[in-house]
Amino acid sequence: MKSAVSREASTPLDTTDSLTPTLRRKRKKGVAGYAFVSGYFVLLILFGVLPAAYAIVLAFTASGGHFTGLTNFIKTGEDFRFLPAFENVGKYLLIWLGSLVVIVLGLALMLHSIARRVSAAFRFIFYLPGALAGAASVLVWLFMLDPTVSPWRLFLGVFGFKNLGQTILPGHLPLIFAIIAFWAGAGGWIVVTYGALNNIPNELIEAAQLDGAGAIQTALRIKLPLIKKWIVFMLILAFAAGTQLFVEPQLVGEASLGLISPTWSPNELAYYFAFQDNNFNYAAAISVDLLVIGLLCAAVLVFRTKLFEVE
Amino acid sequence: MAPVSLEKLTKVYPNGFEAVHEFDLEVADGEFMILVGPSGCGKTTAMRMVAGLEEITSGTLRINGEIMNDVSPRDRDIAMVFQNYALYPHMTVGENIGFALKMKHTPKSEIEKKVRETTEILGLTEWIDLKPGQLSGGQRQRVAMGRAIVREPKVFLMDEPLSNLDAKLRVQMRAEVARIQRRLGVATIYVTHDQVEAMTMGDRVAVMRAGLVLQCDKPQTIYDHPLNLFVAGFMGSPSMNLFEARLGEGATTLFLGTQKVELPPTVLSAKPALGRFANAEVVVGIRPESLAVAGTATGERTEDLVFFEGDVDLVEALGSEILVHFSTDAHRVEAEGMYSDDAEGLDAGSITQRGEGVARVSPETQLVIGEHVRLQVNPKRLFFFDPVTGLALNG
Amino acid sequence: MRLFNRIWSRTFSYIILLAFTAFFVVPVIWLLFAPFKTDHNLVFENPFALGTLGNLFHAAHVMFTFEDYALLNWLKNSAIYSFGGIAIALICSIPAGYGLAHTQFIGRRTLLGVTLFVMIMPATALVLPLFLEANAVHAVGTPLAVILPFSFFPFGVYLAYIFYSSSVPKDLLAAARIDGCNEWDVFRRIALPLARPIIALVTFFAFVANWNNFFLPFVMLPNSSNYPLPIGLQDLLSATPAFNPGQGGQVPIYRPELAIATIVAMAPVMIVFLFAQRSLVSGLLAGATKE
Repeated sequence: MKSAVSREASTPLDTTDSLTPTLRRKRKKGVAGYAFVSGYFVLLILFGVLPAAYAIVLAFTASGGHFTGLTNFIKTGEDFRFLPAFENVGKYLLIWLGSLVVIVLGLALMLHSIARRVSAAFRFIFYLPGALAGAASVLVWLFMLDPTVSPWRLFLGVFGFKNLGQTILPGHLPLIFAIIAFWAGAGGWIVVTYGALNNIPNELIEAAQLDGAGAIQTALRIKLPLIKKWIVFMLILAFAAGTQLFVEPQLVGEASLGLISPTWSPNELAYYFAFQDNNFNYAAAISVDLLVIGLLCAAVLVFRTKLFEVE
Repeated sequence: MAPVSLEKLTKVYPNGFEAVHEFDLEVADGEFMILVGPSGCGKTTAMRMVAGLEEITSGTLRINGEIMNDVSPRDRDIAMVFQNYALYPHMTVGENIGFALKMKHTPKSEIEKKVRETTEILGLTEWIDLKPGQLSGGQRQRVAMGRAIVREPKVFLMDEPLSNLDAKLRVQMRAEVARIQRRLGVATIYVTHDQVEAMTMGDRVAVMRAGLVLQCDKPQTIYDHPLNLFVAGFMGSPSMNLFEARLGEGATTLFLGTQKVELPPTVLSAKPALGRFANAEVVVGIRPESLAVAGTATGERTEDLVFFEGDVDLVEALGSEILVHFSTDAHRVEAEGMYSDDAEGLDAGSITQRGEGVARVSPETQLVIGEHVRLQVNPKRLFFFDPVTGLALNG
Repeated sequence: MRLFNRIWSRTFSYIILLAFTAFFVVPVIWLLFAPFKTDHNLVFENPFALGTLGNLFHAAHVMFTFEDYALLNWLKNSAIYSFGGIAIALICSIPAGYGLAHTQFIGRRTLLGVTLFVMIMPATALVLPLFLEANAVHAVGTPLAVILPFSFFPFGVYLAYIFYSSSVPKDLLAAARIDGCNEWDVFRRIALPLARPIIALVTFFAFVANWNNFFLPFVMLPNSSNYPLPIGLQDLLSATPAFNPGQGGQVPIYRPELAIATIVAMAPVMIVFLFAQRSLVSGLLAGATKE
């Protein structure tokens, strides 16, 4: 249309049918990709791969730097604080994961069967304490568990607790940490589970109803099997994170007047080795133990479920 | 000098799959060239090689005489309309259309002027400040066109640009795209799987299958003289009826299932190659519109009609015509990928065991389902193919 | 009978939901009310009784001026660490997600796989190794020892990758290349502007993770003036006579003051919660392509 003439005029110049490169830029292959990931790659090496590698080196060497094989692992494993720490965390995980399956799923199913507007409000409220994760949540619960000031004081009184010391007895800690984890973390998982439930096509639910399934039958036989992989996902992530418990026992220990061991959880034990005993090799050995647990969880999630797209 | 020339253009993917095999093509100035074929036939890959979005494995691509194999897309002076339009969602209609000019550092006032001209041509002026998300499918399609034409490129590439529109809009845009192309006079390569678009829009059509160009010619020529079974079956809707058959002694009779059909001598004299197939299997092709029901007022009356019989399975009255689905005891032949979009076979034709056919007859024809009818066809309109190679027996 | 069952089960649902609402909300409400009361009120009055503004001002004054405005210093530190980490994380993870989704290079799949692994692994598992590493290069005690590990945020890379591979069609980028963009232009003019919702999302998750992180700054920053809020809270906790009667009177930090510190610590995350909810919903891409 407009430039037909001008193009005609310019063609005689380019008509030389030659292989000589003109001003046109050659396309570059692959280079751009490296440029885009380079920043992240450096961070990954410096703060992901290197520390892990360094911890592994330390875990297999003595303070002098010579290779000691599994000695550090055996020594830390035989330490009198090692087993109790893992036992403590194990009990905590049992309660926390159990409550995730039963209560989170139950609440999500209930929310899914009521009006969307109302359920949105509930979901927001349940999710809200997530803002107080970490130290803040522990502090809030120290107030909640202190029978002298707690709004639940009547409830605590039923169990005969008169002061904070009685509530946070060492034997109660797994349950208490599970409650804190639930308070701060369950809302997020309820939102995720609800989202998964929402992805179930409505026709499927209606078909089940026409087939004669009641609300509970539909929930158990249709909805739950369809969100199974999300439940697995939730459990593995919660398990992996739960093994790393640190801030909760640390802060509650602070308020317990020395009743609670400073090596209550494995991470605390590793910390104790590093900072009280100045034994970085032992600390590294426990870190590697925990790292392996984390890696195993990741491996199960990546290879056993099809949750993560890698293409 | 042809704006676009492809010489033995070949694409082999890293996994060894050869998507395009030695594609030769010249698109003349102002020519509307259509690449048509079932999905997976390599037509889109061929186009993307021209665009520079797909690397060329071997062969030579020239645009205006210059070798372009290794030139980056932005320096090829081409414009492309994508199947999903690929409009920039964060830019307005005007910004979308003007983006290429902006990247060429065209002065702002000139961009504005050209964008305005383009939106006027396409009737988009009202929507110039809206974002793609606020437009209808048809409007988005126009924006995609606008983005291409504002560039005044040497070549237009269009990759199934109408396939996402609903049927009615597609018919309308079909004419509009063709009109705009004629008006701009820019060489265009247009990829489609829709044989109606191929028939109606292009100056020339290249029918592709499994990475090969089977036939490249004017649409009517392809329709009237398909070179092989696949092209015969692919072009035309409803498709050509293809039946397994056997030529008798001296190629004067045709056995269609259990039926014997007498062929007048004109058939053999027009297609002497049939002589080689005396007493041998052939595939016979009949376009649905060449068939009529004998004995009805609308049937063609010439001296040497040939007849065969069938049972009416289904009658589809379309108002202007009737599609009669009938069955005979002759086996039907299908070239893979001819009718459905999913097939990707490499063989010339495979035989399926269905004896169904379609006739397209005048609406006055009165038929009842289950009725036994005599069908007539002018023998000049019979096509014959070699059942082994799939090639048409014309010479 | 059926109808009765339905009403009954619905009522049951609501009772359970309301009970859990109380469980989740009462602590937050109590926390917000606490600064309006004196420590004495908290012990001897109805837990939901209203307090007075005077009490609030008093407690706030005590808390904020405590140890030469330590609380504000911690707040400032938290902000620096969190946002420093987020800034670097964004600069690195958005292009990385784009590169992983839309470019080809050797090692791409490996990088993706490793990213997935470190993303699922709890970040806490690397804290002590990171400390050992920082210790080896004498970086312990510097803000960078916290900021740089914060900026390594594989989850952000994964989010960006998923976004780019699922919501930004290859043809959109091809169109830009044909329109005259080089690879950097394609990213800057097309891919980056489209990433706005994902930038908000990454910021949100990184912020919550960084702000609440306890273990990493706890081991990296031994000096009180470098503390972020969570470590500061622990410091207060160990000093307050409310939980450590032995401390008796030397430190004027009681429960109302502690509640204020907790509120200060959680408020930014709470605000980000409310703020992020909106920006996450923006369907910027709607209608860009027809699929």
